[in-house]
Order: sequence, then structure tokens, then C-alpha cells
Amino acid sequence: MTELAVLPPDFAKEAAIMEKTWASKPGVIGWLSETGHKQIGLRYIVTAFLFFLAGGIEAALMRIQLLKPENHFLGPDAYNQIFTMHGSTMMFLFAVPIMEGFGVYLVPLMLGTHNVAFPKLNAFGYYIYLFGGLFLYTMFLLHAAPQAGWFSYVPLAGPQYSPGKGVDTWAQMITFTEVSGLVVAVELVVTTFKQRCPGMSLNRIPLFVWSMIVVSFMIIFAMPAVMIASGYLSLDRLVGTHLYNRSEGGDPLLYQHMFWFFGHPEVYIIFIPGLGFVSSILTAFTGRKIYGYTAMVSTLVVTAFLGFSVWVHHMFATGLPQLGESFFTAASLMIVLPTGVQIFCWIATIWSGRFRIATPVMYVIGFFLVFIVGGLTGVMLASIPIDWQVHDTYFVVAHFHYVLIGGALFPLFGAFHFWFPKWTGRMYSEVMGQISFWLLLIGFNVTFFPMHILGLYGMPRRVYTYQPGMRWGNLNVLASAGAVFMALSVLTMIINFLVSRRAGRVAGANPWNADTLEWSLPSPPPVYNYLHVPTVSGLNAVWDAAPDQPYVTGMRFDRREILITRVLDAEPDHTEQLPGHSPWPFVLSCTMCIGLWGAIFFAWWFTIGAVLSGIALIGWFWPSDRELEDHILREKGELGGLELGMPEPVREEMP
Amino acid sequence: MTQRVLDVAALTEGTADSRSLIWWGNLAMLAIEGTMFAMAMATYLYLRSTNLDWPPSTVPKPDLLMPTINTVMLLLSCIPAFIIDRASITKNMLPIRICQALSIAVGLLFLYIQYAVMVPSLGYKWSSHAYGSVVWVIIGMHTLHMVAATGETALLFLYSLFKPVLKKHLLDFRCTAVYWYFVALVWVPFYFIIFIEPWMQRKGS
Repeated sequence: MTELAVLPPDFAKEAAIMEKTWASKPGVIGWLSETGHKQIGLRYIVTAFLFFLAGGIEAALMRIQLLKPENHFLGPDAYNQIFTMHGSTMMFLFAVPIMEGFGVYLVPLMLGTHNVAFPKLNAFGYYIYLFGGLFLYTMFLLHAAPQAGWFSYVPLAGPQYSPGKGVDTWAQMITFTEVSGLVVAVELVVTTFKQRCPGMSLNRIPLFVWSMIVVSFMIIFAMPAVMIASGYLSLDRLVGTHLYNRSEGGDPLLYQHMFWFFGHPEVYIIFIPGLGFVSSILTAFTGRKIYGYTAMVSTLVVTAFLGFSVWVHHMFATGLPQLGESFFTAASLMIVLPTGVQIFCWIATIWSGRFRIATPVMYVIGFFLVFIVGGLTGVMLASIPIDWQVHDTYFVVAHFHYVLIGGALFPLFGAFHFWFPKWTGRMYSEVMGQISFWLLLIGFNVTFFPMHILGLYGMPRRVYTYQPGMRWGNLNVLASAGAVFMALSVLTMIINFLVSRRAGRVAGANPWNADTLEWSLPSPPPVYNYLHVPTVSGLNAVWDAAPDQPYVTGMRFDRREILITRVLDAEPDHTEQLPGHSPWPFVLSCTMCIGLWGAIFFAWWFTIGAVLSGIALIGWFWPSDRELEDHILREKGELGGLELGMPEPVREEMP
Repeated sequence: MTQRVLDVAALTEGTADSRSLIWWGNLAMLAIEGTMFAMAMATYLYLRSTNLDWPPSTVPKPDLLMPTINTVMLLLSCIPAFIIDRASITKNMLPIRICQALSIAVGLLFLYIQYAVMVPSLGYKWSSHAYGSVVWVIIGMHTLHMVAATGETALLFLYSLFKPVLKKHLLDFRCTAVYWYFVALVWVPFYFIIFIEPWMQRKGS
């Protein structure tokens, strides 16, 4: 076992300087002007998890309501609000942001760099996400929640059938979360392409990072569609445009096309990071290089491309031309091919490796079981006759919970356990971890498998209650009982993490003997990540490192300097200085809130917010005098690297 | 055992070209913005395909003179943007300043003509019909971009008058030039659908 960044005592002075350079500022203002990727990443993860709990409570309320026929626990209005909030929360405020949080936290560590490419933008993305979510929940508590479902189809969500501010709130929340998603996507693409440590050529990028690149590109081309779609919805509702109004030449189907042009890629945006988690965990727990690395990467890319050509399978019941629908059936069925290749590669990895069992890898096994069932019902739904039969029934609900919980939540919980030692420096309780896994696996299947049958029996989605004679009662009781197990599972996991955070066994740098670069750092990693940028000489950076694996010298410790490498071969190219703390991302997100929240009530607030945001942007870009001085001196050649009495480097070419 | 190191002290700090982070960030932003404009175009074409009366018969035949002048002017403004880009490589400040002033003037004039002459002559509002809605959305989106491009150029212009111009600012000049190309070129297809298409349809009348 070799660790790349051991810290010999004579590096203590450098470490002290780096500590000071990258340190967080104290106080509330310091907290609000933080730009370090680990802190921002953890904030994303914690915030998204809190929204997950809120979404889970909403799910529990629905399960209580459906427990028996003609139940009056929730009225029809409240039920509509709750299922809309549940879907919107889980999709927009939990699933995507938490994957982004993992990307923001892990990608720079896995690439061997100090921070993401645009740290201020990163902080801005977090605040804008937070404010979007808080806005939705504030309006919910003020009894102005949206009621038109998580995809808010027009005409139901249009001005005529959804009076009030609920749908406007929903549409603005979409804008906030999509801006945040786009921001993270741009950062991760640029970080991955420009900031990899020397030696990490494209074919040595860890699979989790690949999954985040693919997801980021999908976000860049998918999320503008939903921003436009929800923007049109706002315009139709607030200023009287007719984009979705059939009587004035608009078209409600336009909304569905644009929503699903985003919405289907969105599903992959949620579960492709999950595939990355699975690959990371399996590599560590089989102790071998992943089987078929090239196939894995190329199938990720193929899945992304196919993901953009299947959106109409959400619209089979809208009466589109048969030929068009057939094309989308074929495209939807093709998704099986890349996914199948991936699953066979993982099986081959397990088969030929030294397989160990622990909680993270159990969640991976759970992922296989649940996700494959979801995939099979996906194949069924891709065929138009079946789709027409079960459209808008609980069969669809069962399908997408199998895909999303199987494809994203199981790997995510695995990832929680896998990286918990890295975040906290301590181990979680293995017994508790396994208990929570079994509770989730059993609870999930008991909750959602009956929904397939309920759907085949004809129970429609989104009804707040049903008649006694329908014979749906028993299966609904079963589903609600399963939900109790799921809640217990999440509770067990939370207790496990909260207790282990303080009292767990000390983990050490690499408790799993895993292969990616973040495991070469102490747990939790120092604020600057790497004292010296590492180099790698193979796909499995930690395993392939030579005993005297070179590290990079000659960079400044007293500035936030990062090494930029070339896109393809990751050869060192130049250095750049990243900005430090800044309150402006927070200020800008506040001014954007003024514009976007205000616009719901009075259109001119948008203009006011835009002007204020312009001022905030000037503040954002205006360089400090110290920064300028530094650059001037450097351009005159008067400021070199620091002399720190380092051992004379033995220069050698990179292998 | 000696520890091997990879010494990078000789590398330059920052570059004002396509290798820098900001350049990549700028391109990624343009990919996002481009997708948004593509969606707006898709909206137009989709609604066009679902309406028999398109543009609606109440839409008057547009007057082509000012929109054409405005579009040609915007396209020609890519020349100063190009000069800013080239002059930034050698840090030749005089042409940069002249062309920045020219760009700001063109930007303001374009916005003035758009809102004082062209928009009033359209003959419909965003709330008249779906056609009006999509045209106003397109014009609005492009206006936001035009304001951003002009504002960014003005900010850099003012900044460079009072503060030292460093390598990172040269990079900003170059990225703004690229942004300017985008804002100018993306307008061209919309010029055709907003003005040329109804003009062709109404030609006989």
C-alpha cells in the first residue's frame, strides 16, 4: 500500500502556509463568503438530505392517506399539494443537487487539484439552490403551494385552471435549481478538462469523474429546455402571453415536448452519478481494476446521447403520429444495450476480484436487484400498447421509483457509507449500516412492488382516495406498511452517522484500500487538499503509484495557485490563481431573489432585480488592490515562488 | 531513496488564450445560451407547424428598412470585436480602446433602434396571440444578451481607463469579443423569421 501525499516533518512549514492561504474565514460573514469546494459540496449534500427528509415526510403523509378507502386524513387540495411538493422536492431539491454536491466535493479530490475551476460561481450555485428550495417551502407553509404535479402540465398549470401563486412559485423554483445545476455542470466540465494532475490522461480518469462529466454535459444541453418551458409558463401566467394557449395559437403539447426534452435526460442526470458510485465502490471492494473501463466510459456517453432521443415515450398517450412513437419506442429499447454492458462489466469485476462485503457494497447489490426490475418495467413501458394500458396508473409510479430509488438512492446510500470515513475521519457502525440496508431493501420492495399490481388493477396516480369496492385496499395497506420500514431505515442511518461522527473508530486515510486519489489524503482532507499536486501513473492512482511517485514542486504556497494541465494528456501547461473568499456570490443570489421572487407579484421587480444583480456582478468582478499588485509584480518578474528550504529536487521526466 | 519531483516553477502564470479556465467557462456558457436560443427557435417552428394562419392575418407587412440596417450594423460590429481580440494578443491598447468605444456605441444604437423604431412598428404585442408571444420572447432574450454584451464591454472600457490592464484583463477582452460574435450571429436567423418571413408572405398584398 502506497500513499501518495505522505507529509514528512520538513513539509510542516509549507503545510502551515497552505493552511493559512486556504483557510476559512471565521464568523457568519466568513461562512457566507466561503468558496472552498469541500465546504460547499458538504453544504449541498446536507441541504439536499434535509429536503429529502421533507420529501420523505410528504410521502409518509400520502401513504397514511391511502391506507384505507375513503380516508379523510388529507383533503383533495392538501393531497394535491403534498404529491406536487413530494415530486418537486425529490427531483429538483434532492436528487440532482445531492449528486452535484458529491461531484463538487469529490471531483477536485479525485483529480488531484485544490479547488473547482470557478470557486465563487460554485458558492453562488449553492445559495441560488438553497433560496429556490426555501422559497418553495415558504410558499408551501403560507398555503400557496403548487398543486399541478411535479411536471405542472398545462393547461392545468395555466392561468385558467391554477389561480393563485402556487405554480408561479414552482416555475421560479425550477429557474433557481436549474441555474444552480448549470453552474455546477460548467465548473465540473472545466475542472475535469483543465485541472487534472499530471499523468491523469483521459484514459486514467476515475469512472465516477467520467460519470460527472457525462452528467454535466447532459445538464448543459437539457436544463435550458426546462428553464425555457417554465419561463414560458410564468410568462403565460404573469404577463398574458399565449405560448400554451390553444385558443390564441399556442400549444399545450409544446410544454410537454420541452419539459420532457429536459425531463428524460433528467432521469439519467440523477442515476448516472449513481453508476459512478457503483464503479468506485466495486473497485475498492473487489480490489481490482474495473473490468472493461473503455466499455464503461463509452456506454456512459452512449446512454447520455440516447437519453436525448427518448423524451416522447412520456407522451405516448397524447395522440402523436404512430410512426414517430415507434421511433421513440425503438430508441427507448436501445437504452437496454449500454446499461446491460455496464451491468455485465460490474458482474465480471465482482466475479474475478477478491470480493469483500460491507455496507457500501451491500447497497450496490441492492442497486442491482432493484434497478434491474425497474429497467425491465421500463422495457415494458417503452412498448406503446402496454404504455396505453397502464399510463397514469400506479404501474408507472412503481416503475419510476424502482428506477430512481434503485438507480440513484441505493448507490447514494452506499456512497454515504463509503465516503463517510473520508468526510469525518471516523468509521460508521457496520452493524447499524447493515440493519439500515436490510430495512431499506425490504421496506422499499414491500412499498413499491404492490404498486405494480395496483396499477394493473387500474388504480390511477394522484387520486387522493378510492372507493371500498375497488379491492385496492389490501395492497395499499401493504405499501404503507413498507413505508414504515423505509422510514426506520433512514432513521437508523441518521443515528448511525450522528453517533459515529463523534464516537466511531478512527478511520485512517484509506480504510477500504480504495484506489482513487482522495484516499491518499488524511481523513478528513486538509483544507487545501494536496500540499503538492500529485502525479499518477495508472488508472488506479493509489494502487499504481510507485514508492517514489513524483509530486509537483515549484508552485506557490502563499496564493491559491492551481496547476492547469493539457486536456488530453494532462501534461503541465501553466498555473492560475483562484479567487479566495468573496461575499459577492451570496449578494448576487440575494439580488436575483429580489428579481425572481418579486416578479411573481409584480413584473417590474424583475427589472429592479436585474439592475441590482448588475451592480452585484461589478462588485464580484472588481479585483482587490492586493490581487492587482500581485499580478503587476508578477508580470514584471519580481515575484517568484517561495524559497522554503526544500530538498534539491531530482529532476526527472514524467513516466 | 530519492523522491522524484516534477518541478513546474518555470511555467507561466495565467494565459490569455484558449488554454485558460475562463475561456472554457465562456464557451460552456455560450453552449447553454445557444441551447436556449435553439429552444426559442424550436418554439417558433413548432407553433408554426401547428398553426395554419401563421403569422396571423392581423400581422401587418413589416417595414424591412430599419431592421435590415440594424442587423447589418450588428454583423459589421463583429469587425471591432475581431480587432479587440487580435490587439489583445499584443496588448495594443489604442485599437482596443477605439473598438471598445465603437462596440458600446453600436450596442446602444442597436438597442435604441430595436425599441424606439422596430418594436413599435411590429403592430402586435406579446399578449396579442401566440405568434406575438414567441416573437417578443425572442426579442426580449436577445435584448438581455445585447445589454449584457454592451454592459460588459463598457465595464471593461471604463476599468481599463482607470486601472492597470493585466494579462487577465486581456483575456477578458478576448472572451468579450467571442461573446460579441455570439450575440451578433445568433440574431441573424431571428431576423429572417421575424421580418423576412412575414414580409415574403405579405409581398403580394
